Amino acid sequence: MGTVGTFDTFTTARLGIYAAQKGLSVTGNNISNINTVGYTRQRLDQVSLKTGGNDMYRSQLDAHVGTGALIRGINQIRDPYLDIRYRAEASSVGYTDKMLTGLDQVASILDEVGRGEDQNLGDGMLYAQLQKLAESLRGLSASAGTESNDTLVRTSADALVTLFNTYAGKLETLRQNTENGFKDDVTAVNEILTSIRDLNSAIRKSEIFGDNALELRDERNRQIDALSEYMQIDVTYSMEDIGAGQQVEKLTIRLGNANPDPNVDTDQTCLIDGIYGAQLEMPEKVKAPDGTEVDNEHYFLNVTKLVDSKNREPKDTSINAGRPVTLDDNDLYGSLQATRELLTGNGTFSTQNTIDNVDENAAIERGIPFYQKSLDLLARQFAKVYNDLNQGHAINQKGEYVYNTGTLDDKGNPIYKPLEVPEITYYVDSAGEYLGLKGLDTPPAGTDVKEITVKLNKNINDNAQTAFNKYFAHLGFNGKIYADTKDFLDQNGETMNGGPLFSIRGDSDITEGITASNISVSHSWSEGDTKIITSYIKLFDGSVSNTTQNENVDHMLTKINESLLYNPKDLDPNAASDKLFYGSFNDMLSNMCISLGNDQRSTNTMLNSHYTLMIDVDTSRDSVSGVDLNDEAMNMMQFQKAYSAACRLMTAVDEALDRLINNTGIAGR
Amino acid sequence: MIRATTGGVLRGYRTNLTKSFVTLNKARETVLTQRNFNSYAENPAAAAKAFQLRKSRMSVKSQYSICDDTYRKFQTAWTSLDSIDKLIDTDNGSAMKTISGTTLNALNDPTADARVQLGKALDQMSENIIQNLNQKYGENFIFSGADGQNVPFEVVDNKLYYRGIPVDATEPSVVLSGGSPQTVDSQGNLDPNGSYYICSDSVSTMKASDFDAITDPTKQPQVMRDAAGNPVKVDQAGNLDPNGDYVMVTTDIKTMSKAQYESDMQNAEKLEYLAEHEKYFVDIGLGFQENEKGQLIESSGFNAALNGLTFIGYGVDKDGDPRNIYSLVQKMKDLTARVSDGKWEGTDGDEFTRLVKKLEAASSNFKTEYTNMDAGTTKLENNLQLLKENFYNLQEQYSALEDADMVESISNFIWAQYCYNSALKVGNSVLSESLMDYLN
Repeated sequence: MGTVGTFDTFTTARLGIYAAQKGLSVTGNNISNINTVGYTRQRLDQVSLKTGGNDMYRSQLDAHVGTGALIRGINQIRDPYLDIRYRAEASSVGYTDKMLTGLDQVASILDEVGRGEDQNLGDGMLYAQLQKLAESLRGLSASAGTESNDTLVRTSADALVTLFNTYAGKLETLRQNTENGFKDDVTAVNEILTSIRDLNSAIRKSEIFGDNALELRDERNRQIDALSEYMQIDVTYSMEDIGAGQQVEKLTIRLGNANPDPNVDTDQTCLIDGIYGAQLEMPEKVKAPDGTEVDNEHYFLNVTKLVDSKNREPKDTSINAGRPVTLDDNDLYGSLQATRELLTGNGTFSTQNTIDNVDENAAIERGIPFYQKSLDLLARQFAKVYNDLNQGHAINQKGEYVYNTGTLDDKGNPIYKPLEVPEITYYVDSAGEYLGLKGLDTPPAGTDVKEITVKLNKNINDNAQTAFNKYFAHLGFNGKIYADTKDFLDQNGETMNGGPLFSIRGDSDITEGITASNISVSHSWSEGDTKIITSYIKLFDGSVSNTTQNENVDHMLTKINESLLYNPKDLDPNAASDKLFYGSFNDMLSNMCISLGNDQRSTNTMLNSHYTLMIDVDTSRDSVSGVDLNDEAMNMMQFQKAYSAACRLMTAVDEALDRLINNTGIAGR
Repeated sequence: MIRATTGGVLRGYRTNLTKSFVTLNKARETVLTQRNFNSYAENPAAAAKAFQLRKSRMSVKSQYSICDDTYRKFQTAWTSLDSIDKLIDTDNGSAMKTISGTTLNALNDPTADARVQLGKALDQMSENIIQNLNQKYGENFIFSGADGQNVPFEVVDNKLYYRGIPVDATEPSVVLSGGSPQTVDSQGNLDPNGSYYICSDSVSTMKASDFDAITDPTKQPQVMRDAAGNPVKVDQAGNLDPNGDYVMVTTDIKTMSKAQYESDMQNAEKLEYLAEHEKYFVDIGLGFQENEKGQLIESSGFNAALNGLTFIGYGVDKDGDPRNIYSLVQKMKDLTARVSDGKWEGTDGDEFTRLVKKLEAASSNFKTEYTNMDAGTTKLENNLQLLKENFYNLQEQYSALEDADMVESISNFIWAQYCYNSALKVGNSVLSESLMDYLN
């Protein structure tokens, strides 16, 4: 039997009191922090103490008893897998939430559902104004040549272009605000990265001195959670040898491998490596694939070198090799990426260069620029149609192009005569496909080739137009070659130039570069110098007046509802696609809103899904790490009882020893 | 979930309370706005369709306005034509105030004393016709086709002009050769470089065989001969024809200059175009579309052009008489002006009688066109009704899409409010008593 220490049990009781008291402290700390954001509940880590070991006097029959409880430390109860899940969902919530916010803001400008004037609430604004223009054109059509109706059309057009300007202005303001928000977000991310790096440093120091630094870890977790909303991250913990056999924990944060391209590894760029941290920066210029420096129009971000709080780089220089790292377009996922896409999403207006070198999905990503450019294209198409219709070549009642003879009739009116252009013959196949111009092209082989002879006329079909274009460009007329039929008519026919109706500024007649933000009623139209050409028909060589003929107004009127092709190349020649939409002006506007509405719906659905999952995971995380009053009450009772019991033990031992010391061996006294 | 912690329960409550409030807010918004959706995002397809319907309604509204305006123009035109109709009609119970009645009186006047006066009355009535045809609707003349800003009819030297063109202009009938007018000199002799044409109505022909049968050259009539002096073969109408069986008697032929011929041809062509082909279309809701050549599909618009020529006639008939009422009446007036001592001069009486028949034909034409225009007015009237119905139908359609069913909306709102109130009530017990509360 081994030795029994006389006062051993006192130590046992004392340790029990210590442990119970510490347990009560931990419980109290948990209760106190029940509302502290990011707090992880703590638990007393106590073990049973057993002193001594095998010695020379040890007997196999000996029974060793432990000597109480020893507090080894205080732990956090945390499930790393739940952290990973939470942060994955947080980046999705960050992405969809930011994207939805951006789309909602675009919709607040463009979505006209429920808007309108007074009793027509719901007719829309821009949408309705296009129809009001049609209404005024109907009035002009019914009473062509009347000055007041021309003014009514101009007033209506003025209201329309003002709406274009307003919408474009709001979209641009939104884009600028989003850009500023993006810069603020980058700053916020950098502050978080700095904070995590410094917390790592503080935790490392604490660990070296044997402190778990639980509160610092809580704060670090909170910062990592916040970072995960901005970008998808991958958090790993490893042990770092600091010498003398001591190891401390090292936290590493990398980008979360968001890029689906397996050949890209910049999406795993290290942001935090223990006490070293990097920053994000948005350069003014970036390198294009051909090596030239170009403006950073895609809002690319660089990740800087990893440095500690004193701006020192790691001793291992390979860590910072190749830095700063320019992130690929899809390396990020989270609210930062959502803002980037809102700022760069050109959708169908994306250039081939962007699709090839930046983002292969660029053509389907619709951000603020897509809606800005769509509105610009609508405004440009609208202006082009009406500017083109207000200039053309005079014809007679048969549709023959006429020229001004320079002579006057007995009433003083100019005399016009038809242009005497020879008839031409072209080939078509049985399906009516144009095959070539007779006299210039080799006669096509085959039995189903037909020859069609036409005379130049405004009403000729597309095949005849093609044939005449070729005729004027190759065979010419009266020994002179022209670029095409229009060139011939410009030089030989009677060009009626009513002047542009729309321009880039109200004080000019410049039509090049019209967008939604600058479209204006032209200076000459607003001043009354330009009028809408109601008719191009010079009746009987101009000898018979037709003051209320309206075929050109009718033409303008039908254009309001006619389907037209909206070609992104008309706005940006570098655009990869040549078709955005085919439809009327109103349909184009509606199509923009449908795209926007569908994007909002799908993003909202994704947000709800991710948010619900994030809340679920957070609740699960809370079920592990959160403080619960019932738990703590139980702990409190448990530790209180343990404390009392330890005290009772001490009393019992005291009484026992009292018996031994004071009342033992006194028989006979 | 292994543990339900205080924080977890609170988070769950907070999340669900927010959801409940969002639902309540949505239900409230539906009740307040009375709309099924307030953005494209809520229902893109319905929103797009509703806008289409609203666009159609806006179009119909302005088409109604145009149709109504055109209808009123046609009504004004109808009033003017009705006045003309009464002027030329014999059946309105006031024959003395009508052209028909006056001409009959002029014909049948037993003493013929009043014929001169009747002629003056005819002149006045024909002026009235022109005045009626020069009526305006708004700022534009009604019967001027597509030249609404200029007065359509003018009388210059007793000749009526429509938009500067004499209404009696007709395509001159001249002797042809191979389908083209045969040029002659001023005397009517064949001359390829001549600057005259032979008027067909002055030509008489005789069988070549009959001509050849007259062997005595002095008794032969003067006929057209070629450079060799041989009679030129013509057809029965006088057109040059190498295989013709006739020769042209040139005793009383009339010639006209090429310039005059071309001017008459152009005038006739102009009149024909203005009366039959000149149109201007307005959009009254019939589709108003263009074909692939950029030309308006005529059936999709309404031709609002009213040409006065159509009603009172133009050109001359085969007898060389004017077809239009004004010129006929003027001719008749001229005949009555020559009446002296109650007697027609020469064959004026017969001429007058013949012109009365022409006038009847012109009047008949007027009535036909008048009736046609009335059909156009009826079409506009019916269209107005259709547009009105269409307007309400479209309103109903987009209302069905957009307007919330208030019974359902209010039920939803009450239910959402009930749920929210319940959620709030639950909130009082979320922080329920814990073991802490039972510790002594």
